[in-house]
Amino acid sequence: MSKKVIYGVYDDDDVILQAVKDIRAKGIHVDEVYSPFPIHGLDHALGLKPSRLAIASFIYGCIGLSLGLLMMWYMMIQDWPQIIGGKPNFSLLQNLPAFVPIAFELTVFFAAHLMVITYLMRCKLYPGSSETSPDPRTTDDKFLMEIEAHGNEADLIALMKETGAQEIKEEQIA
Amino acid sequence: MVNVTTNLEKEIIKMATKKTYFQGLGELVNNPELEKFQKDEFAEQLPTEAFLGDDEKLSESSTSRRDFLKFLGFSTAAASLAACEAPIQKVIPFVVKPEETIAGEANWYASSFYDGNDFASLLIKNREGRPIFLKTNDLCDKGGINARVQASVLNLYDSARLHTPLANGEEASWSTIDASIVKGLNAAKEAGKQVVLLSSTIISPSTKAVIKEFASKYNAKHISYDVLSASAMLDANLESYGTRTLPTYHFDKADVVVSFAADFLGDWLDTGHGKDYATKRNPKAATMSRHFQFESNLSMTGANADYRTPVKASEMGLALVNLYNLIATKAGASTVNVATSDYSTQIQKAANDLWKAKGKSLVVAGGNDKNTHLVVNAINDLLSNNDSTIDFTKRSNLKQGIDADVSTLISDMNAGKVGAVIAYNVNPVYNLAQGSEFASALAKVDLSVSFAEKKDETAAVMSFVCPDHNYLESWGDANPYTGINALVQPTINPLFNTRQAQSSLMTWTGLGADFYSYVKNYWNNNILGSTSWNTALHDGVFMTSDSEKTVSYKGSISSAAAALAKLSGDSIDLVLYSKTGIGSGEFANNPWLQELPDPITKNTWDNYLTISPRYAKELGFENENVSNGALNGDVADLTVNGVTLKVPVLIQPGQAYKTLGLAVGYGRNGVGKAGDGIGVNAFVFANNFNTTHSGATLVKVENTVHEFASTQLHHTMMGRDRIVKETTLEAFLNDPTSGNEQMMLATHKGPKAPEKVTLWEEHDRDVHWWNLSIDLNSCTGCGACVIACHSENNVPVVGKQEIRNSRDMHWLRIDRYYSSDMTAESAEEDDVSTIDKFLAMEVASTSETLKVVFQPVMCQHCNHAPCETVCPVAATSHSREGLNHMTYNRCVGTRYCANNCPYKVRRFNWFNYADNEDFDFYLNDDLGKMVLNPDVVVRSRGVMEKCSMCVHMLQKVKLDAKKDGRKLRADEAQTACSIACDTGALTFGDVLNEESKVFTASKDPRAYHLLEELNTQPSVWYQTKVRNVTENNI
Amino acid sequence: MHYESPIREPLILQDKTLHDITEDVARPIEGKANKYWWALFIAALLAFMWGAGCLAYTAGTGIGVWGLNKTVGWAWDITNFVWWVGIGHAGTLISAVLLLFRQKWRLSINRSAEAMTIFAVVQAGLFPIFHMGRPWLAYFVLPLPNNFGSLWVNFNSPLLWDVFAISTYLTVSLVFWYMGLIPDFAMIRDRAVKPMAKKIYTILSFGWSGKAKHWQRFEELSLVLAGLATPLVLSVHTIVSMDFATSIIPGWHTTIFPPYFVAGAIFSGFAMVQTLLLVMRKVVNMEAYITIKHIEYMNIVIMVTGSIVGVAYITELFIAWYSGVEFEQYAFLNRATGPYWWAYWSMMTCNVISPQFMWFKKLRTSIAFTFFISIVVNIGMWFERFVIIVTSLHRDYLPSSWTMFSPTFVDIGIFVGTIGFFFVLFLLYARTFPVIAQAELKTIVKSSGSQNKK
Repeated sequence: MSKKVIYGVYDDDDVILQAVKDIRAKGIHVDEVYSPFPIHGLDHALGLKPSRLAIASFIYGCIGLSLGLLMMWYMMIQDWPQIIGGKPNFSLLQNLPAFVPIAFELTVFFAAHLMVITYLMRCKLYPGSSETSPDPRTTDDKFLMEIEAHGNEADLIALMKETGAQEIKEEQIA
Repeated sequence: MVNVTTNLEKEIIKMATKKTYFQGLGELVNNPELEKFQKDEFAEQLPTEAFLGDDEKLSESSTSRRDFLKFLGFSTAAASLAACEAPIQKVIPFVVKPEETIAGEANWYASSFYDGNDFASLLIKNREGRPIFLKTNDLCDKGGINARVQASVLNLYDSARLHTPLANGEEASWSTIDASIVKGLNAAKEAGKQVVLLSSTIISPSTKAVIKEFASKYNAKHISYDVLSASAMLDANLESYGTRTLPTYHFDKADVVVSFAADFLGDWLDTGHGKDYATKRNPKAATMSRHFQFESNLSMTGANADYRTPVKASEMGLALVNLYNLIATKAGASTVNVATSDYSTQIQKAANDLWKAKGKSLVVAGGNDKNTHLVVNAINDLLSNNDSTIDFTKRSNLKQGIDADVSTLISDMNAGKVGAVIAYNVNPVYNLAQGSEFASALAKVDLSVSFAEKKDETAAVMSFVCPDHNYLESWGDANPYTGINALVQPTINPLFNTRQAQSSLMTWTGLGADFYSYVKNYWNNNILGSTSWNTALHDGVFMTSDSEKTVSYKGSISSAAAALAKLSGDSIDLVLYSKTGIGSGEFANNPWLQELPDPITKNTWDNYLTISPRYAKELGFENENVSNGALNGDVADLTVNGVTLKVPVLIQPGQAYKTLGLAVGYGRNGVGKAGDGIGVNAFVFANNFNTTHSGATLVKVENTVHEFASTQLHHTMMGRDRIVKETTLEAFLNDPTSGNEQMMLATHKGPKAPEKVTLWEEHDRDVHWWNLSIDLNSCTGCGACVIACHSENNVPVVGKQEIRNSRDMHWLRIDRYYSSDMTAESAEEDDVSTIDKFLAMEVASTSETLKVVFQPVMCQHCNHAPCETVCPVAATSHSREGLNHMTYNRCVGTRYCANNCPYKVRRFNWFNYADNEDFDFYLNDDLGKMVLNPDVVVRSRGVMEKCSMCVHMLQKVKLDAKKDGRKLRADEAQTACSIACDTGALTFGDVLNEESKVFTASKDPRAYHLLEELNTQPSVWYQTKVRNVTENNI
Repeated sequence: MHYESPIREPLILQDKTLHDITEDVARPIEGKANKYWWALFIAALLAFMWGAGCLAYTAGTGIGVWGLNKTVGWAWDITNFVWWVGIGHAGTLISAVLLLFRQKWRLSINRSAEAMTIFAVVQAGLFPIFHMGRPWLAYFVLPLPNNFGSLWVNFNSPLLWDVFAISTYLTVSLVFWYMGLIPDFAMIRDRAVKPMAKKIYTILSFGWSGKAKHWQRFEELSLVLAGLATPLVLSVHTIVSMDFATSIIPGWHTTIFPPYFVAGAIFSGFAMVQTLLLVMRKVVNMEAYITIKHIEYMNIVIMVTGSIVGVAYITELFIAWYSGVEFEQYAFLNRATGPYWWAYWSMMTCNVISPQFMWFKKLRTSIAFTFFISIVVNIGMWFERFVIIVTSLHRDYLPSSWTMFSPTFVDIGIFVGTIGFFFVLFLLYARTFPVIAQAELKTIVKSSGSQNKK
C-alpha cells in the first residue's frame, strides 16, 4: 500500500526548529527532518530518545581492559613465564606495573572502534549504501521536514506554509 | 696399515687412557675396543703412506682429495645450518665413516706448535675431522699459548696456501720437481759449490737428523737465523758463561724484576713468561714481585710494570751501566767509570730493591746488542741470580740462529760460491734488511728451493717451491727445552698436494719419504727408552730428567760498558718492536690477528710510527677524530741510515721523548687477501738484526692523512675510578678491601649496598650459577682470550673500514685505560671549572708516571639485565643458571638492548658477514669456513650477538656428566677465554659449588662488580688491581 | 544555546552564507589544480621516491648502510620516529581537546589538523619497522606465538608498548577523522555532476542523509570519541618517552620525560599545523575561514608549550646536578659542551628562545613571521630528539666504548623521503577531501559569522 508524504523545505535552522515545535504541538507527528548540520534541540523537539552510544562504549572499554589483562597474564605468566631482567613472573599483580600501558591502550582501542561500528550499524551507514535525503540541497543550505499525510494534505501544507516553509512537495512512496 | 703393538704397549695405552685430566680423551675412554683406540692415537685413518709416499702412489690414491671433499661438505653444512636465513644446502655425508669420528663429538689430539719463535704444547680439538680449536697441554710446564698460537689453526685453512709444488712459477708434479732438484743438487756438489739449507732455528731432533744425512750426502751447509733474533744474547752468554745457549728464566721466583726494554710478556724469547710472571703477581702471597721497566716504546710488559721509566733508546745502555755500578758498589765489586744517567733516581730505587732481593731478583734486557747482554749477565752474576731465577741447567733451544752467517751467505752467493739454496721456514727476502740484496744474489745461484706454504716474497724469486704441510698436517717432534721432548702429529689429512719439508729432504737424500716412521724410529732409539711411543704420542710431551751442567760467570765488561755509555746526543732514535698479534709477520694473512687490537694502541690492521705527545707537538704531528669518531693521523717520511719509508704517525702516551717505535711484520706481499699491503715493512731498517737505531730523520708529509682503525677511541677513565679499582700492595696487606670499599646507597632504611636495593623478590638459583672472575692483577692484556673467543664462537672479521665505523664484533674486548694528569682531587685543589676538568681528563697523562690498566670486558650476564627488559620480542632472556641468553632466530634487530647495555658488549650484524664479497675474509671462502665451530651458529645480518659464556660448552659438560650419571665436578665447565688464559686471570665456574675456584674468587675481598651502582647484578667479577709500589707513588 | 562575549571577533569573515561555505569547501575538489599545487606535488613526489629508494637499499643490504655503530644503536631513525609522532599530536588534540572545551575556533582547522596527524603518524610508523635489522620479521612484535608454540612477546618492553600505542592512536584518529568526513562527503556527493565522482563520493559518504537521529548519534559519537582520544593523545607520547625514561642510559633515564615529551609534541604539532595551514589557506584560498584569529590562537599555544619545554630543559639540568650522579652530570655537561654542543644549542635557540617572540601581538599576528617560527620550531624539535638520543648514547658509562655518530646519505635520504611522502599525502588530501568540516562549521555561521557580528 502506497503512502503519501509531504516535504516542507525550510532555509533556516531556527525556523524549522520552531516549525517542528509548533506542528508537534498540534499533535501531528513529524516523521523526519533532514538538515546539513546538527540542529541543537531538534532531537527534543522531535521527541527522540537520547542515544545510548556512550553506555555501549563504556562496556566495550571494560571488555578491552579485561581482554588485555587476560592476554598479558596468559602470555607472560601462565603459558611461558620467562626470567626477564630479573623481573617477577609470578603473578599478575606483581607484573601489573608493566602491563598498565597496554591495558590502557586496549581499553581505548576497543571502546573507540566497537562504538564506531555500533554507530554505523545503528544508522545503517555503510560503503555503497545508496540512501540520500529526498532533496540533495539538504546537505548544502536547505532544511527538509517530512510528514506522512493521512488524507489531511491540505492542512499540513497550510501548516508548513505558515511555519515558514519555502517550498512544499507532495510525493507518493510505494 | 696399523702398526703392530705388543700387549705391553696395549697395557700402557690402557693406563694412559685412565688419565682423566684430558677432558678431550673422555670420548676415547668411551671407545670399547682397544684397536679403535689405537687407530685414534695413530690417526691411522690418515693414509700417511699415501701422502708421504712417492708421487705415483699419491696420484693413484684419491683418498686425500675425497677426504677434502668430506671436510668441505661439513664446513658448508656448518655454515648453512648456522646461518638463520641461509638457503638449504646439501650436506655431503661420510662415504666411509672413520671409526674415531662420532658426529657431534670432539676428538682431542696432543701435538705441538713451533714456528721458529713461539713454542707451545697443544691439545687440538677435532670436529668431524677438522681441527678447530687449540688449548695448552698441561702436561708440559713450559712454553704456552699466546694470541698467535691460538690463531694458528686458521692458517691451516688459508686459501692463499699453495696447492701444488711450483717449478719456476709453473705448477708441476712432485716427480719432475724432485728429479730436477736432485739433479741440481748433484750439479752443485760436483761443481764444488756450497749447498746451503737456510732455515729458522730448528728444535726438532729428527729433523736435525734428516738435515744431517742430507748435508752429508751433498756436503751441504745448514745456516739458521731468527727473525726476532737472540744472536747477540747467545754470543754474550758464550762470552760470559762459555756456552752459546739461552737459559730458562724464572719470573715465578723473582721478587724483583728489572727489565731493560725486554717485552718478556710479549715477544721476548718465550711465551711461557706470562704464566710465571702472573703466579708471582698474586698479592696474597706476601712476596708479590716488584717490576721495574726501562723502555722507549710503551710495551705490554711496560704497561704491567709497577715502575715504568720511558728511556730514550740510545741512553738505555748508560742507564744499564749505571745500574751495574750501583749494584757493583753494594757488592764491593769494581765499578766502571761512566757518566750518570738522567734516570738515576729510578735506577737507584731499582738497584736498592734488587740488592734487597739478592738471589731472588732478575735483570733482563731486550734488543739485539751483545754489550747490553754482557752487562746484564754481569749484574745478574753480582746478584747471584744464576741457578735461582736464571736456570742454565734447563736450557731453552728456541733461538739458536747466528746473524753473522746470513751476511756471509749473501756475500758467498754474490761471489758465486753457492750452488744451491734451500729456504726452510724462512723468508729472507721479506724479513732481512738486505732482503733485496738477497733476492738479487739469488740470481747467481743455480738452484733455489723454498719450502714455503705460500708464494711469499722469497718463494716468488725461488726456482722451485715445494710447499710444506701446515703443522696441523705434519708429523714431527721438538726439543724446546732441556728434558722436554714434544711430538707433532697430524690432525687432518693434507688439504692440498703438499709435502712435508722433511719428507722432501728425505726424498732428495734417498731415504724414502716416510717421515712418520723416521720420527717414530728416532724416538724409539734415542729418546723414549722403555716408554712406549703410544704413550708419548698420547701425552704429546715426554719429559726426561736430563739437565745441563751449571755454568759459572767469567769475563769483564769494561769495554762493553764503555761502548754502551756512548750517547747519541739528541738524535732521533728508532726502536723496532713486534706486536703480540702479528709478531714477525709470518701470520700476516690471519684476519683474526690483523683485527686483534694492539694491547696498547688498540689499533688494528696497521703498523705506525709511535711518537711521544711532547715530541709530536714539537714537530707538529697530529691525530684527530673525524665526524664518526674514527682516528686520522699525519704521515711522515722516516729515514734511517739511507732507507726511507712513508709511515703514519700515531701519538703514543708513555713513549720516550725523541724515540720512535715501529712494528715489524707488516707490509707483506704474497701472503693472501687479508695480509697483503697492510702497513709498511719495517724490516728494511733492521740492519744486522738491530732493533734500535739512532740518527733517524722524520719529515712531515703535507696534505696526506692516514686512516687508522682503532677499537678504542677514548683513552682515559674520565675520573670514573670505580671502573678499574686499584690499590697498592702495602695498603692491601693492611686491609684486603682497600681500593674496593663497598659502595652504599642512601635509602629510607639507611645506607644499603646497591644489590640489596631491589623492588622485587629474586628468582631461584638452584641448579648452577655460572660466574666468571677476572683478576686485573694477572691480566697482562695479551689478547689470547680474544682470539680464543673468535675461534670458538665463529665471531666474524669485519675489516678495517668497519672498525673505523666503530663496528668491531669482538665478543670479548680488552679495555685499556691511561691515567690522566687531571683528577677530581687536583681539580678541587687548583679549582678548575668542571668543563675544563673533563676536557683535561680526556687527555692521557704526558708525565713519566703514566699508569696503564687492562680490563677484559665481555657480556656481564647481569641477573637484572637491562637488555632483557627492553627486547620487544623476548629474544634475550635469562636462564635459570644465571646466563643472559641471546635467541638469534627470534631477534628482529631493534638494537634497543645494545643501547640499554651499560657495558656496551652487544654486537650487531650490520651486514651479512658470511658469504659476502664485501667482507672477503675466512667466512667468505669455503676453505676458511672449515674452521667454523659446528656447535655455534654463524649469525645472519640484522641480528644482535654477544658473549654467551660458551653456553654450548656448558651444555656439553652437563650432558657428559648426565651420561656418566654424576654431578658436575668443580671447575669442570670452562669457557674458551678461561681455557686460553695462561696467566689464570680468568676463572670460570659454578659459584653455587663451594669447591669451585670461582666461588672463592667471588668471596675475595678484592672482588667487585663493574658499575655495581646500577644494580645490574652481573655474573662477572673483577678483582682489584694491586700495584707493588710505595704509597706516595700511585 | 551557547554564550559568548559580544566583543569577540568573528571566526568566519566576509559575510559567508551557508551556501557560500558549501561552495568554498567544494571548490578545490571540483575545480582544477593550480600550478603551485603541481609544483609542490612533483617536488614532494621526487623526495618521496628518493626516500623509497634509500629504504629499499637499507632493507636489501643491511642497517650497516646507516651511520650507526656499536655504541650509538639509534640515531636518525628513532629521532625521525619521535619527531613525526610528535607532529602527529596536534590534530587529535585540536579536534578532541578543543571539542571538549567547546572551542569553536577549532572548526575551521580541525579537519586538516587531523589529516596531518594521520599522515604524520604514517611516516612515524615507517621507522620502527625499517630500523629493524630484519624488517621482514616485523610481525614478531605482534602478540603471536612463534612457530614452535609458546614464545610470545615481552610485555615489559616499552617498544612493545609503542606498538600498541601507535597502532591504537593511528586507527582511532583515522575513524575519528572519517566519522567527521561522512556528512561532508555526502555534501560533495549531492553536488557531484561527473558520474565517476558521484560514484566515488557515494561510496565514501556511506549513504549519509542528515536525518535528525543520525545527527544526534553523530554528536554523541564525536563527544565520546573526543573523550577517548584526549587521554590517548597524552598516552601515546608518554609511552614513546618511556622508550627512554625506562632505560638506564644517563640522559634517557629521566622521570620528567612523559609531560616533557607531550608538551614538546603539542609544540611541534601546532608548529606543523601552522606551516601547512598558512600554505593551504593561500593555495585553496580559505582566508575567510582560517583567519588571523586562528593563527594567533595557535601561536599562543606554541608560545605556552614552548615555554613548558624550556622549563623541562632547565629542570633536567638542575636534576642532573642535584642528583650527584657523576654519569648523569657528565651526560648533561657533555650535551652542552661536548662534541655535539651545536645540536644542543640549536635546540635551545629554536625551542626556547624563538617562541618567546610570540609575546608580541604584532609578531604573533604576522603571517610571514608565524610561518618562519613554525619552521624554526620544527627544526628545533628535530634537534631535541637528536640530542636526547645521540648525545646520551655516544658517551655513556664506560669511556672505552665512547664514539661518535655521523649520518650517511641513506640516513638523510630516508628522512627527506618521509617529508616527501607526507606532503604527497597532504596535497592529494587537499584536492580530494573537504578540507574544512563544513557541516559543523555551518552550525556557527550565525553565532560567529561576521554578518551577525555587526
